[in-house]
Amino acid sequence: MSNEPAKRVRVWDPALRICHWLLAVLVIVNWCLGKFGPNVMTLHFWLGYAILSLLVFRVIWGFIGPAPARFSTFIPGPRALMRYLKGILRREPSNWPGHNPAGAISVIAILLVLGWQVVSGLMADPDDFINVGPLASAVGSGTARQAVGWHHLGANLILIFVLLHLAAILFYRLWKHEDLVRPMITGWKWVRRR
Amino acid sequence: MNVLKTAILSASLAIPLPLFAQDADDAIEARHGYMKMLSIEMGKLSGMAKGEIEYDEAAAQAAANNLAALSNYDLPSLFVEGSSSDDNGDSDALPAIWQNTEDFGAKFAGFREAAAAAPAAVTGGQGNIGAALQTLGGACKDCHDDYRKPD
Repeated sequence: MSNEPAKRVRVWDPALRICHWLLAVLVIVNWCLGKFGPNVMTLHFWLGYAILSLLVFRVIWGFIGPAPARFSTFIPGPRALMRYLKGILRREPSNWPGHNPAGAISVIAILLVLGWQVVSGLMADPDDFINVGPLASAVGSGTARQAVGWHHLGANLILIFVLLHLAAILFYRLWKHEDLVRPMITGWKWVRRR
Repeated sequence: MNVLKTAILSASLAIPLPLFAQDADDAIEARHGYMKMLSIEMGKLSGMAKGEIEYDEAAAQAAANNLAALSNYDLPSLFVEGSSSDDNGDSDALPAIWQNTEDFGAKFAGFREAAAAAPAAVTGGQGNIGAALQTLGGACKDCHDDYRKPD
């Protein structure tokens, strides 16, 4: 840790913040629609397409966006990750300028599982003749049928990842005295150069 | 006489198990055939709903009539003991069916109700097929969600 004082820096650009909160809302709403929503899943489909567009945007932003949004900035090597994890229980803010190495792994994991969910949903044919994914006929009926199972698995994974995400935010807030939510709203984060 | 009695008794004791397994195999095969028949009729309606098949009132009604006729068959009686997905690799019927026979019956009754309304619902133009199909498909989904193995 450097001894420099923490500075308030604008790390999250507006597009990234809007993308984050839209994604959070849409994923929660669509998860609930999938589990408890009407049998005719038209809205679930449309929100799924919206989530797909957000994912596409986030991946593009990961290459052309501002530095804190770029994959090349935040994806850690194994050594950086291990070093960070060793100190993770210290009761002090990370003051990390952007995604810390553990958070970066979670970003990638969440993007992957949401991608998995979108793709399996597009391919799924649950044999009810109304909620047939637009790619179901292209992948064949066997795969389309299996995709329904993958989609159910994905829903469970998403639930786990969302709960982990919230647990991590609480852990940083209560144990490390670092508020990760406000920076995602305002864009400004207390940062220490390292 | 005694010999005959013993023979009958031993035969009746020995037969049930293989007969039971045969019952389950037959029931599973019959169920799959039943579902295939439903799927053929549903496929006609969904083809018309999507515009892949040209709408024809008589054909739509014939498909709906077949669904209604099929729905009057007592399908739950084919879900015999030993024919769940745990008992037989060919079966997609979740064991939950046998733990919730009443709800399972109610879900099938829901399909029967939807199918009974279908012949009238699919008449009067291609625009009506969608809503009719959604009611029918909703009944499929209602039951599949809880009682069909997702794989």
